[in-house]
Amino acid sequence: MDIVNIPILKIENFLIASVQVALYDMQAIQFKDAVLQKIYETKAKGVIIDLTAMDVLDSFVGRLISDIAAMARLMGTTVVITGLQPAVAITLVELGLELPGVTTALNLEKGIAKLRLITENNADGNA
Amino acid sequence: MAMPNKVITIQSDLDIVAARMAARDMAKSMGFGAIDQARIATAISELARNIYLYAGEGTVTVSEIQQGLRKGLQVVCEDQGPGIEDISLVMQDGYTTSKGMGMGMPGAKRLMDEFEIESIVGEGTKITCRKWKRP
Repeated sequence: MDIVNIPILKIENFLIASVQVALYDMQAIQFKDAVLQKIYETKAKGVIIDLTAMDVLDSFVGRLISDIAAMARLMGTTVVITGLQPAVAITLVELGLELPGVTTALNLEKGIAKLRLITENNADGNA
Repeated sequence: MAMPNKVITIQSDLDIVAARMAARDMAKSMGFGAIDQARIATAISELARNIYLYAGEGTVTVSEIQQGLRKGLQVVCEDQGPGIEDISLVMQDGYTTSKGMGMGMPGAKRLMDEFEIESIVGEGTKITCRKWKRP
């Protein structure tokens, strides 16, 4: 089985990962582990997972996205999911997966703006 | 002229993706819209994963069907796994055996137009579901 190779890029204090291919279950799990490890190594304040290219998101990957957001939060990092296609948003809700607790934004640009806002507010709160 | 059936053998998580791609391709070439394509692909993903998780192996057969003037896509998922003891239980939202979120079966049913389960404990499960094309 192929090891998943989704680049996780660091820009300033943020990590950006763009999922471009359909993930097999094992690859999705590897991706989760890779994101969390990268958060730990880089001490990133925020992570964007861009799903613009994904045309299907089933309950397995949906759960994994929720898990990544929850696990990153425990590590003190905010995850924003960006670029969900209309068809994906519709099927997720019909499936019964509304991803509570997962922060989302329309696209990468708005995602970064949201992440900046959240991390700056957090910094104020901690000061 | 209907397209030939596609039969996908489910033995690993790779086959789950293969099954949903096959269903999506057929839906697309039949002229289903993008949202219905996503609904069909997602439902098949859930059902194929159930085969993989609970029966180990089985088949997914995707075919084009016609009833009078309307055309549809039919998916039959069959396995010789343990079967389902209480079908009404697995169709409840939130019921899970901890391997999933408990959205698979009821979710797949909501995404399709018709959904039938036949299951015999110790012999296996057959799920037939259909999506009709809007005229």
